[in-house]
Amino acid sequence: MGDRPTASELIEAVLEFLSSELLPTLDDHRLKFRTLVAMNALAIARRELEASNTVLLGEEQAAALARRIRAGEPPDGALRLLKEDVAAKLRISNPAYLQKYE
Amino acid sequence: MRLLPGGASKEAWAVEAEGERLLVRRAGGGVIHEDTLSLAHEFHVLEAALEAGVKVPRPVAYLAELGGREAFAMELVEGETIGRRIVRDPPPGLETELAEEVAKIHAIPPDRLPFLRAGDVLERFQHELDTVGEPHPAIEYGLWWLRQHRPEALDDVVSHGDFRIGNVVVSERGLEYLLDWEFAHLADPREDVSWPIVRAWRFGADDRRLGGVGEVGPYLERYAELTGRKIAESDLSWWEVLGNVKWATGCLTQCRRHLTGVDRSVEYAVLGRMAAEMEYELLDLVERHG
Repeated sequence: MGDRPTASELIEAVLEFLSSELLPTLDDHRLKFRTLVAMNALAIARRELEASNTVLLGEEQAAALARRIRAGEPPDGALRLLKEDVAAKLRISNPAYLQKYE
Repeated sequence: MRLLPGGASKEAWAVEAEGERLLVRRAGGGVIHEDTLSLAHEFHVLEAALEAGVKVPRPVAYLAELGGREAFAMELVEGETIGRRIVRDPPPGLETELAEEVAKIHAIPPDRLPFLRAGDVLERFQHELDTVGEPHPAIEYGLWWLRQHRPEALDDVVSHGDFRIGNVVVSERGLEYLLDWEFAHLADPREDVSWPIVRAWRFGADDRRLGGVGEVGPYLERYAELTGRKIAESDLSWWEVLGNVKWATGCLTQCRRHLTGVDRSVEYAVLGRMAAEMEYELLDLVERHG
């Protein structure tokens, strides 16, 4: 374990700076929007750093499954497995998005 | 004269000329997306759309050479384009206005725009997905399901290619202009008609299925009145899955513009992680349709 702040705490500090100091000074819509996008990017990175298990299917498993589906032979239970895999990605990228489906 | 923010592949300049405010679109130095129209073709599409009575910014002049690159000038229009703001308080009747615009586009004779490309829509997205270089079994599953359930095709029509909230200018009076014609092509009319129904284009207002602004029923009824094409809401299920495949893949390819250095931008970067939203939606739709 390195010195504090941890990587996650550093991201948090930047997020706080952007939201409480930079954002209120911006008048340009476009720049405001891009700052919010940048903050979203940081929030995703932070969630990924803090999560212990981020993916269900590793790259090779995903590639093998993709090839089987492309060949017209999706394995039994593929839909269930894919939903779980994508839900795991969403818990990192946009946890609120899943609420509609609950 | 000022440069408006946007991608590096095409520049947009706000210009004042002889008392008129114009928008000049000029080719950038970067690589153009393979499925987008050249500026010359986009200008012709705008002219044809204007002739057909579609609400478009008036095309003013095509300039084959402006500082070494092609460009065109059109009327600079004002109004709201931000999806999240439009869905907060949509003007009444927007759903029938959307139907009227798309009906007018679909009535443009294809031989008026002979350069527009057609092609198999599933092959198009499969090819696009192959350029990403990252496995996406969820999108593959969507493509597989689409192949299994393909509906009978309707004759191709002139299509906008990105017809949705976010590409329309709206005021309190209603729909003012339809923008972003660079993806125009020939396609089954249901491709355009279904595109604003895709969840991403509801901008969070999921209780209003049509682009977060209205109901699908009156939109399809008005479209049928004007075109004679009766499309039931249930006919759009296949196209809604397709739309999610299209935008999931679009997010991944746009993200590659950032990753490969063609067009560095934090917006493009984040799109790579947004693809999962459309992946989940398409899997959920497929599960419900069986």
